[in-house]
Amino acid sequence: MTERPSHDLESRLTTAGRAFPYPSTPDIARAVTHRLEALPARRPARSSVRRLTWVLVIVITLLSGLLAVPPVRAQILEFLQIGVIRIFLTQPTPTLTIPAISTPGSEVIPSPGISMTSPTPANTTTTEIIPSPTPRPSPTPIASLLDLTGETSLAKAQRVANFPIRLPAYPPDLGQPDHVFLQDMQGQVLVLVWLDPADPLRIRLSLHQYVGKNNITGIKYSPPVVQETSVNGQPAVWAEGPYLLKLTNGDYQLVRLIGGHVLIWAQADITYRLETDLPLAEAVRIAESLQPPPAPAP
Amino acid sequence: MNEAELIDRARQGDGTAWETLMRAHQEAAYRLAYLLLGDAAQAEDVAQEAFVRAYLALERFDPARPFRPWLLSIAANLARNQLRAFGRYLAAIRRLVQDESRPVESVEGRAAQSWEAQTLWQAVRQLDFADQQVIYYRYFLDLPVEETAQALDIAEGTVKSRLHRAMNRLRAVIKRHYPALQEGREV
Repeated sequence: MTERPSHDLESRLTTAGRAFPYPSTPDIARAVTHRLEALPARRPARSSVRRLTWVLVIVITLLSGLLAVPPVRAQILEFLQIGVIRIFLTQPTPTLTIPAISTPGSEVIPSPGISMTSPTPANTTTTEIIPSPTPRPSPTPIASLLDLTGETSLAKAQRVANFPIRLPAYPPDLGQPDHVFLQDMQGQVLVLVWLDPADPLRIRLSLHQYVGKNNITGIKYSPPVVQETSVNGQPAVWAEGPYLLKLTNGDYQLVRLIGGHVLIWAQADITYRLETDLPLAEAVRIAESLQPPPAPAP
Repeated sequence: MNEAELIDRARQGDGTAWETLMRAHQEAAYRLAYLLLGDAAQAEDVAQEAFVRAYLALERFDPARPFRPWLLSIAANLARNQLRAFGRYLAAIRRLVQDESRPVESVEGRAAQSWEAQTLWQAVRQLDFADQQVIYYRYFLDLPVEETAQALDIAEGTVKSRLHRAMNRLRAVIKRHYPALQEGREV
Protein backbone atom coordinates (compact mmCIF):
# COMPACT_ATOMS: atom_id res chain seq x y z
CA MET A 1 0.00 0.00 0.00
CA THR A 2 1.43 3.33 -1.00
CA GLU A 3 2.06 5.71 1.86
CA ARG A 4 0.50 9.11 1.35
CA PRO A 5 1.10 12.23 3.39
CA SER A 6 -1.50 12.93 6.07
CA HIS A 7 -3.04 15.79 4.08
CA ASP A 8 -3.92 13.44 1.23
CA LEU A 9 -7.56 13.21 2.22
CA GLU A 10 -7.78 17.02 2.30
CA SER A 11 -6.49 17.34 -1.24
CA ARG A 12 -8.74 14.51 -2.43
CA LEU A 13 -11.75 16.31 -0.91
CA THR A 14 -10.78 19.55 -2.61
CA THR A 15 -10.51 17.72 -5.92
CA ALA A 16 -13.82 15.99 -5.20
CA GLY A 17 -15.47 19.35 -4.62
CA ARG A 18 -14.34 20.56 -8.04
CA ALA A 19 -15.20 17.34 -9.85
CA PHE A 20 -18.46 16.70 -8.06
CA PRO A 21 -21.33 16.03 -10.50
CA TYR A 22 -23.76 18.58 -9.07
CA PRO A 23 -27.10 18.86 -10.82
CA SER A 24 -27.12 22.00 -12.91
CA THR A 25 -28.16 24.99 -10.82
CA PRO A 26 -31.75 26.01 -11.62
CA ASP A 27 -32.68 29.65 -12.16
CA ILE A 28 -33.31 30.33 -8.51
CA ALA A 29 -33.02 34.10 -8.87
CA ARG A 30 -35.92 34.20 -11.27
CA ALA A 31 -38.13 32.02 -9.07
CA VAL A 32 -37.33 34.11 -6.01
CA THR A 33 -38.06 37.31 -7.89
CA HIS A 34 -41.52 35.98 -8.75
CA ARG A 35 -42.10 35.04 -5.12
CA LEU A 36 -40.99 38.43 -3.86
CA GLU A 37 -43.23 40.22 -6.33
CA ALA A 38 -46.18 38.71 -4.50
CA LEU A 39 -45.02 40.34 -1.26
CA PRO A 40 -45.69 43.95 -0.33
CA ALA A 41 -43.11 46.32 -1.76
CA ARG A 42 -39.99 46.71 0.35
CA ARG A 43 -40.15 49.91 2.29
CA PRO A 44 -36.99 51.96 2.20
CA ALA A 45 -34.71 51.30 5.12
CA ARG A 46 -35.18 53.79 7.90
CA SER A 47 -32.00 55.41 8.95
CA SER A 48 -30.91 54.82 12.49
CA VAL A 49 -31.08 58.56 13.09
CA ARG A 50 -34.69 58.66 12.05
CA ARG A 51 -35.45 55.59 14.16
CA LEU A 52 -33.77 57.18 17.15
CA THR A 53 -35.77 60.34 16.57
CA TRP A 54 -39.00 58.40 16.78
CA VAL A 55 -37.90 56.77 19.98
CA LEU A 56 -37.01 60.12 21.47
CA VAL A 57 -40.26 61.69 20.36
CA ILE A 58 -42.24 58.88 21.92
CA VAL A 59 -40.32 59.06 25.16
CA ILE A 60 -40.55 62.85 25.35
CA THR A 61 -44.26 62.86 24.63
CA LEU A 62 -44.88 60.21 27.22
CA LEU A 63 -42.77 61.95 29.84
CA SER A 64 -44.39 65.31 29.16
CA GLY A 65 -47.82 63.81 29.62
CA LEU A 66 -46.89 62.07 32.82
CA LEU A 67 -45.21 65.09 34.33
CA ALA A 68 -47.91 67.54 33.41
CA VAL A 69 -50.89 65.56 34.59
CA PRO A 70 -51.72 66.10 38.27
CA PRO A 71 -51.99 62.93 40.31
CA VAL A 72 -55.69 63.46 40.79
CA ARG A 73 -56.17 63.14 37.07
CA ALA A 74 -54.88 59.61 37.16
CA GLN A 75 -57.78 58.57 39.33
CA ILE A 76 -60.10 56.40 37.34
CA LEU A 77 -63.75 57.06 37.79
CA GLU A 78 -65.53 55.44 34.91
CA PHE A 79 -64.98 53.74 31.63
CA LEU A 80 -66.64 53.34 28.28
CA GLN A 81 -66.73 49.94 26.61
CA ILE A 82 -67.07 49.39 22.89
CA GLY A 83 -66.55 45.78 21.89
CA VAL A 84 -63.27 44.69 23.41
CA ILE A 85 -62.01 48.24 23.90
CA ARG A 86 -62.43 49.86 27.30
CA ILE A 87 -61.76 53.58 27.67
CA PHE A 88 -61.05 54.87 31.15
CA LEU A 89 -62.16 58.40 31.81
CA THR A 90 -60.59 60.63 34.37
CA GLN A 91 -61.78 63.01 37.03
CA PRO A 92 -62.23 66.57 35.85
CA THR A 93 -59.38 68.85 36.67
CA PRO A 94 -58.68 72.54 36.30
CA THR A 95 -57.25 73.78 33.05
CA LEU A 96 -53.73 72.71 32.40
CA THR A 97 -51.50 73.28 29.47
CA ILE A 98 -48.90 70.95 28.13
CA PRO A 99 -46.43 72.65 25.85
CA ALA A 100 -46.29 71.35 22.32
CA ILE A 101 -43.24 69.39 21.33
CA SER A 102 -41.69 70.12 18.02
CA THR A 103 -40.27 67.29 16.04
CA PRO A 104 -37.81 67.15 13.19
CA GLY A 105 -39.51 68.47 10.11
CA SER A 106 -41.39 71.06 12.18
CA GLU A 107 -44.29 68.73 12.77
CA VAL A 108 -46.13 69.33 16.00
CA ILE A 109 -46.81 66.31 18.11
CA PRO A 110 -50.15 66.84 19.73
CA SER A 111 -49.65 67.65 23.36
CA PRO A 112 -52.75 69.77 23.67
CA GLY A 113 -53.80 71.81 26.59
CA ILE A 114 -56.74 70.27 28.30
CA SER A 115 -59.57 72.26 29.68
CA MET A 116 -62.41 70.96 31.76
CA THR A 117 -64.13 74.08 32.87
CA SER A 118 -66.54 72.59 35.33
CA PRO A 119 -66.98 69.32 37.11
CA THR A 120 -68.41 66.96 34.56
CA PRO A 121 -70.79 64.14 35.36
CA ALA A 122 -68.99 60.87 35.08
CA ASN A 123 -71.19 59.63 32.30
CA THR A 124 -70.62 62.71 30.22
CA THR A 125 -67.80 61.79 28.00
CA THR A 126 -66.93 64.93 26.14
CA THR A 127 -64.04 67.05 27.17
CA GLU A 128 -62.84 70.03 25.29
CA ILE A 129 -59.50 70.80 23.94
CA ILE A 130 -57.61 74.06 23.87
CA PRO A 131 -55.05 74.03 21.14
CA SER A 132 -51.73 75.32 22.31
CA PRO A 133 -50.67 75.69 19.58
CA THR A 134 -53.14 74.14 17.16
CA PRO A 135 -52.26 70.50 17.37
CA ARG A 136 -51.82 68.54 14.24
CA PRO A 137 -52.80 64.93 14.75
CA SER A 138 -49.90 62.63 14.37
CA PRO A 139 -50.60 59.03 13.47
CA THR A 140 -48.86 56.33 15.39
CA PRO A 141 -45.20 56.15 14.36
CA ILE A 142 -44.68 53.78 11.50
CA ALA A 143 -41.97 51.97 13.43
CA SER A 144 -44.40 50.77 16.07
CA LEU A 145 -46.99 49.56 13.59
CA LEU A 146 -44.85 47.99 10.91
CA ASP A 147 -42.75 46.07 13.40
CA LEU A 148 -45.78 43.98 14.26
CA THR A 149 -45.51 40.26 13.83
CA GLY A 150 -47.73 38.21 11.56
CA GLU A 151 -47.28 40.17 8.35
CA THR A 152 -49.08 38.51 5.50
CA SER A 153 -50.91 39.36 2.29
CA LEU A 154 -54.53 40.36 2.02
CA ALA A 155 -55.30 37.25 -0.04
CA LYS A 156 -53.74 34.97 2.55
CA ALA A 157 -55.45 36.78 5.41
CA GLN A 158 -58.77 36.27 3.65
CA ARG A 159 -58.08 32.55 3.48
CA VAL A 160 -56.92 32.21 7.07
CA ALA A 161 -59.14 34.67 8.95
CA ASN A 162 -62.17 33.16 10.60
CA PHE A 163 -64.23 36.29 10.00
CA PRO A 164 -65.16 38.29 6.91
CA ILE A 165 -62.54 40.93 6.18
CA ARG A 166 -63.95 44.26 5.09
CA LEU A 167 -62.12 47.21 3.57
CA PRO A 168 -63.05 50.89 3.34
CA ALA A 169 -64.47 51.94 0.00
CA TYR A 170 -63.88 55.57 0.99
CA PRO A 171 -61.77 57.57 0.20
CA PRO A 172 -62.02 56.30 -3.37
CA ASP A 173 -58.25 56.54 -3.92
CA LEU A 174 -57.43 54.43 -0.88
CA GLY A 175 -57.12 51.08 -2.62
CA GLN A 176 -55.86 47.98 -0.87
CA PRO A 177 -53.73 48.17 2.28
CA ASP A 178 -49.96 48.40 1.95
CA HIS A 179 -49.41 46.10 4.89
CA VAL A 180 -51.56 43.35 6.37
CA PHE A 181 -50.91 41.70 9.74
CA LEU A 182 -52.91 38.79 11.09
CA GLN A 183 -52.16 37.78 14.66
CA ASP A 184 -53.65 35.12 16.85
CA MET A 185 -54.03 36.28 20.44
CA GLN A 186 -56.53 33.56 21.42
CA GLY A 187 -58.71 35.46 19.04
CA GLN A 188 -57.67 36.90 15.74
CA VAL A 189 -56.47 40.45 15.31
CA LEU A 190 -56.22 41.88 11.82
CA VAL A 191 -54.28 45.10 11.25
CA LEU A 192 -54.49 46.83 7.89
CA VAL A 193 -52.12 49.70 7.18
CA TRP A 194 -52.25 52.26 4.38
CA LEU A 195 -49.16 54.42 3.89
CA ASP A 196 -49.16 58.00 2.76
CA PRO A 197 -48.33 57.88 -0.98
CA ALA A 198 -46.43 61.16 -0.62
CA ASP A 199 -44.44 59.95 2.38
CA PRO A 200 -43.99 56.19 2.71
CA LEU A 201 -42.64 56.65 6.23
CA ARG A 202 -45.98 58.01 7.34
CA ILE A 203 -49.11 56.01 7.99
CA ARG A 204 -52.18 57.42 6.31
CA LEU A 205 -54.58 55.27 8.28
CA SER A 206 -54.73 51.92 9.98
CA LEU A 207 -57.72 49.71 10.65
CA HIS A 208 -57.62 47.11 13.40
CA GLN A 209 -60.23 44.37 13.55
CA TYR A 210 -60.46 42.41 16.81
CA VAL A 211 -62.53 39.26 16.79
CA GLY A 212 -64.26 37.86 19.85
CA LYS A 213 -65.64 39.39 22.97
CA ASN A 214 -63.59 38.47 25.96
CA ASN A 215 -60.19 37.16 25.00
CA ILE A 216 -58.56 40.43 24.09
CA THR A 217 -59.04 43.66 25.94
CA GLY A 218 -57.80 47.02 24.82
CA ILE A 219 -57.67 49.74 27.43
CA LYS A 220 -57.17 53.39 26.68
CA TYR A 221 -55.98 55.60 29.47
CA SER A 222 -57.20 59.15 29.64
CA PRO A 223 -57.47 60.30 26.06
CA PRO A 224 -57.54 64.10 26.09
CA VAL A 225 -60.69 64.04 23.97
CA VAL A 226 -63.36 61.37 24.11
CA GLN A 227 -66.61 61.78 22.24
CA GLU A 228 -69.52 59.44 21.77
CA THR A 229 -70.77 59.09 18.24
CA SER A 230 -72.26 56.40 16.01
CA VAL A 231 -71.32 54.27 13.01
CA ASN A 232 -74.21 52.85 11.01
CA GLY A 233 -76.48 53.69 13.95
CA GLN A 234 -74.33 51.69 16.39
CA PRO A 235 -72.59 53.28 19.37
CA ALA A 236 -69.06 54.40 18.66
CA VAL A 237 -66.36 56.36 20.43
CA TRP A 238 -64.03 58.95 19.04
CA ALA A 239 -60.78 59.52 20.94
CA GLU A 240 -58.01 61.94 20.25
CA GLY A 241 -54.44 61.29 21.32
CA PRO A 242 -51.98 61.27 22.80
CA TYR A 243 -52.87 58.53 25.23
CA LEU A 244 -51.73 55.09 26.22
CA LEU A 245 -53.32 52.01 24.72
CA LYS A 246 -52.81 48.77 26.59
CA LEU A 247 -53.76 45.49 24.93
CA THR A 248 -54.08 42.56 27.27
CA ASN A 249 -54.67 38.93 26.56
CA GLY A 250 -54.03 36.67 29.50
CA ASP A 251 -50.40 37.16 30.43
CA TYR A 252 -49.62 39.09 27.28
CA GLN A 253 -49.61 42.87 27.42
CA LEU A 254 -48.75 45.43 24.84
CA VAL A 255 -48.63 49.12 25.69
CA ARG A 256 -48.49 51.72 22.94
CA LEU A 257 -48.60 55.47 22.87
CA ILE A 258 -51.25 56.56 20.42
CA GLY A 259 -50.75 59.90 18.74
CA GLY A 260 -53.54 59.96 16.19
CA HIS A 261 -57.31 60.08 16.28
CA VAL A 262 -59.16 56.85 16.76
CA LEU A 263 -62.70 55.79 16.01
CA ILE A 264 -63.92 52.63 17.72
CA TRP A 265 -67.07 50.76 16.96
CA ALA A 266 -68.31 47.19 17.03
CA GLN A 267 -70.40 45.08 14.75
CA ALA A 268 -71.41 41.55 15.63
CA ASP A 269 -68.33 40.05 17.32
CA ILE A 270 -65.84 42.29 15.57
CA THR A 271 -64.46 45.44 17.16
CA TYR A 272 -63.10 47.96 14.69
CA ARG A 273 -60.48 50.55 15.50
CA LEU A 274 -59.68 53.11 12.83
CA GLU A 275 -56.65 55.31 13.43
CA THR A 276 -56.12 58.33 11.25
CA ASP A 277 -55.31 62.01 11.34
CA LEU A 278 -58.60 62.92 9.66
CA PRO A 279 -61.43 64.66 11.53
CA LEU A 280 -64.31 62.77 13.09
CA ALA A 281 -66.78 63.23 10.21
CA GLU A 282 -64.30 61.80 7.72
CA ALA A 283 -63.46 58.89 10.00
CA VAL A 284 -67.15 58.01 10.36
CA ARG A 285 -67.52 58.17 6.60
CA ILE A 286 -64.63 55.75 6.19
CA ALA A 287 -66.08 53.45 8.86
CA GLU A 288 -69.47 53.38 7.20
CA SER A 289 -67.92 52.55 3.84
CA LEU A 290 -66.55 49.16 4.94
CA GLN A 291 -67.41 46.41 2.54
CA PRO A 292 -65.97 43.08 1.41
CA PRO A 293 -62.97 43.54 -0.87
CA PRO A 294 -63.59 43.04 -4.57
CA ALA A 295 -63.11 39.47 -5.71
CA PRO A 296 -59.66 38.87 -7.20
CA ALA A 297 -59.48 38.88 -10.97
CA PRO A 298 -59.71 35.34 -12.40
CA MET B 1 -20.84 48.09 -8.26
CA ASN B 2 -19.49 46.18 -5.28
CA GLU B 3 -21.47 43.86 -3.04
CA ALA B 4 -22.07 46.39 -0.26
CA GLU B 5 -23.51 48.82 -2.80
CA LEU B 6 -25.76 46.11 -4.22
CA ILE B 7 -27.02 45.27 -0.76
CA ASP B 8 -27.65 48.92 -0.01
CA ARG B 9 -29.63 49.31 -3.22
CA ALA B 10 -31.57 46.12 -2.59
CA ARG B 11 -32.51 47.46 0.82
CA GLN B 12 -33.99 50.48 -0.89
CA GLY B 13 -36.15 48.18 -3.00
CA ASP B 14 -33.94 47.95 -6.09
CA GLY B 15 -34.99 44.61 -7.58
CA THR B 16 -32.21 44.60 -10.16
CA ALA B 17 -29.55 44.91 -7.46
CA TRP B 18 -31.11 42.05 -5.52
CA GLU B 19 -31.26 39.87 -8.61
CA THR B 20 -27.59 40.57 -9.33
CA LEU B 21 -26.74 39.43 -5.80
CA MET B 22 -28.84 36.31 -6.18
CA ARG B 23 -27.21 35.37 -9.47
CA ALA B 24 -23.77 35.78 -7.91
CA HIS B 25 -24.58 33.39 -5.06
CA GLN B 26 -27.33 31.07 -6.23
CA GLU B 27 -24.92 28.34 -7.27
CA ALA B 28 -23.22 28.21 -3.86
CA ALA B 29 -26.56 28.17 -2.01
CA TYR B 30 -27.98 25.47 -4.27
CA ARG B 31 -24.87 23.30 -4.13
CA LEU B 32 -24.63 23.49 -0.34
CA ALA B 33 -28.32 22.55 -0.05
CA TYR B 34 -27.81 19.68 -2.46
CA LEU B 35 -24.79 18.36 -0.55
CA LEU B 36 -26.70 18.51 2.73
CA LEU B 37 -29.99 17.10 1.46
CA GLY B 38 -28.96 14.91 -1.45
CA ASP B 39 -32.11 15.80 -3.36
CA ALA B 40 -32.22 18.29 -6.22
CA ALA B 41 -35.85 19.35 -5.73
CA GLN B 42 -35.44 19.89 -2.01
CA ALA B 43 -32.19 21.74 -2.61
CA GLU B 44 -33.93 24.11 -5.00
CA ASP B 45 -36.70 24.75 -2.44
CA VAL B 46 -34.19 25.44 0.30
CA ALA B 47 -32.06 27.74 -1.86
CA GLN B 48 -35.15 29.72 -2.88
CA GLU B 49 -36.34 30.00 0.68
CA ALA B 50 -32.89 31.09 1.83
CA PHE B 51 -32.94 34.00 -0.61
CA VAL B 52 -36.48 34.99 0.38
CA ARG B 53 -35.55 34.99 4.05
CA ALA B 54 -32.33 36.86 3.40
CA TYR B 55 -34.27 39.49 1.49
CA LEU B 56 -36.82 39.92 4.26
CA ALA B 57 -34.02 40.23 6.84
CA LEU B 58 -31.78 42.42 4.70
CA GLU B 59 -32.24 45.49 6.90
CA ARG B 60 -30.65 43.62 9.79
CA PHE B 61 -27.64 42.48 7.75
CA ASP B 62 -24.36 44.32 8.20
CA PRO B 63 -23.26 45.21 4.65
CA ALA B 64 -19.66 45.48 5.84
CA ARG B 65 -19.64 41.69 6.12
CA PRO B 66 -19.55 39.33 3.14
CA PHE B 67 -22.97 38.22 1.98
CA ARG B 68 -22.14 34.63 1.03
CA PRO B 69 -21.46 33.20 4.54
CA TRP B 70 -24.66 34.75 5.84
CA LEU B 71 -26.70 33.33 2.97
CA LEU B 72 -25.11 29.90 3.35
CA SER B 73 -25.82 29.85 7.08
CA ILE B 74 -29.51 30.53 6.32
CA ALA B 75 -29.53 27.77 3.70
CA ALA B 76 -27.83 25.33 6.10
CA ASN B 77 -30.35 26.04 8.84
CA LEU B 78 -33.22 25.49 6.44
CA ALA B 79 -31.66 22.24 5.25
CA ARG B 80 -31.23 21.08 8.82
CA ASN B 81 -34.90 21.82 9.50
CA GLN B 82 -35.81 19.79 6.44
CA LEU B 83 -33.79 16.88 7.71
CA ARG B 84 -35.37 17.15 11.13
CA ALA B 85 -38.85 16.73 9.72
CA PHE B 86 -39.65 13.12 10.45
CA GLY B 87 -40.85 12.03 7.04
CA ARG B 88 -37.96 13.67 5.28
CA TYR B 89 -35.59 12.12 7.75
CA LEU B 90 -36.89 8.66 6.94
CA ALA B 91 -36.64 9.42 3.25
CA ALA B 92 -33.05 10.51 3.71
CA ILE B 93 -32.26 7.29 5.59
CA ARG B 94 -33.81 5.27 2.79
CA ARG B 95 -31.74 7.11 0.22
CA LEU B 96 -28.65 6.56 2.29
CA VAL B 97 -29.32 2.84 2.53
CA GLN B 98 -29.95 2.68 -1.19
CA ASP B 99 -26.78 4.60 -1.86
CA GLU B 100 -24.77 2.35 0.44
CA SER B 101 -26.15 -0.78 -1.11
CA ARG B 102 -25.16 0.48 -4.53
CA PRO B 103 -21.89 -1.21 -5.47
CA VAL B 104 -19.39 1.58 -5.51
CA GLU B 105 -17.10 -0.41 -7.77
CA SER B 106 -19.56 -0.33 -10.69
CA VAL B 107 -18.08 2.75 -12.22
CA GLU B 108 -17.36 1.66 -15.72
CA GLY B 109 -17.92 4.49 -18.11
CA ARG B 110 -17.79 7.02 -15.31
CA ALA B 111 -14.85 9.30 -14.82
CA ALA B 112 -12.68 8.17 -11.94
CA GLN B 113 -12.71 11.63 -10.42
CA SER B 114 -16.48 11.73 -10.48
CA TRP B 115 -16.66 8.31 -8.88
CA GLU B 116 -14.26 9.33 -6.14
CA ALA B 117 -16.14 12.60 -5.59
CA GLN B 118 -19.46 10.83 -5.23
CA THR B 119 -18.07 8.13 -2.99
CA LEU B 120 -16.31 10.63 -0.76
CA TRP B 121 -19.59 12.53 -0.54
CA GLN B 122 -21.36 9.35 0.57
CA ALA B 123 -18.74 8.93 3.26
CA VAL B 124 -19.09 12.54 4.42
CA ARG B 125 -22.85 12.07 4.63
CA GLN B 126 -22.32 9.46 7.34
CA LEU B 127 -21.00 12.20 9.62
CA ASP B 128 -23.18 14.41 11.78
CA PHE B 129 -24.54 17.67 10.41
CA ALA B 130 -21.88 19.92 11.96
CA ASP B 131 -19.03 17.81 10.59
CA GLN B 132 -20.62 17.77 7.16
CA GLN B 133 -21.03 21.54 7.17
CA VAL B 134 -17.41 22.35 7.92
CA ILE B 135 -16.18 19.87 5.29
CA TYR B 136 -18.54 21.16 2.63
CA TYR B 137 -17.61 24.77 3.30
CA ARG B 138 -13.88 24.22 3.26
CA TYR B 139 -13.41 21.54 0.59
CA PHE B 140 -16.49 21.30 -1.58
CA LEU B 141 -17.38 25.00 -1.76
CA ASP B 142 -13.80 26.12 -1.23
CA LEU B 143 -14.65 28.84 1.28
CA PRO B 144 -11.67 30.45 3.02
CA VAL B 145 -11.36 29.88 6.76
CA GLU B 146 -12.61 33.40 7.46
CA GLU B 147 -15.89 32.89 5.55
CA THR B 148 -16.30 29.42 6.99
CA ALA B 149 -16.03 30.90 10.47
CA GLN B 150 -18.66 33.51 9.60
CA ALA B 151 -21.01 30.95 8.10
CA LEU B 152 -20.73 28.77 11.21
CA ASP B 153 -20.63 31.75 13.56
CA ILE B 154 -17.50 30.49 15.28
CA ALA B 155 -13.92 31.73 15.65
CA GLU B 156 -11.41 31.01 12.90
CA GLY B 157 -9.33 28.91 15.28
CA THR B 158 -12.40 26.84 16.07
CA VAL B 159 -12.87 26.16 12.36
CA LYS B 160 -9.47 24.49 12.25
CA SER B 161 -10.05 22.35 15.33
CA ARG B 162 -13.56 21.40 14.22
CA LEU B 163 -12.27 20.52 10.78
CA HIS B 164 -9.49 18.43 12.28
CA ARG B 165 -11.94 16.40 14.33
CA ALA B 166 -14.34 16.03 11.41
CA MET B 167 -11.53 14.73 9.20
CA ASN B 168 -10.50 12.17 11.80
CA ARG B 169 -14.07 10.91 11.95
CA LEU B 170 -14.23 10.81 8.15
CA ARG B 171 -11.06 8.72 8.02
CA ALA B 172 -12.65 6.26 10.42
CA VAL B 173 -15.80 6.06 8.28
CA ILE B 174 -13.78 5.47 5.11
CA LYS B 175 -11.68 2.81 6.73
CA ARG B 176 -14.72 0.94 7.94
CA HIS B 177 -17.31 1.41 5.21
CA TYR B 178 -15.55 2.55 2.05
CA PRO B 179 -12.51 0.33 1.60
CA ALA B 180 -12.54 1.06 -2.12
CA LEU B 181 -11.48 4.59 -1.34
CA GLN B 182 -8.44 3.24 0.45
CA GLU B 183 -7.18 1.04 -2.36
CA GLY B 184 -3.67 2.07 -3.14
CA ARG B 185 -4.05 5.11 -0.93
CA GLU B 186 -3.51 6.12 2.62
CA VAL B 187 -6.26 8.30 3.95
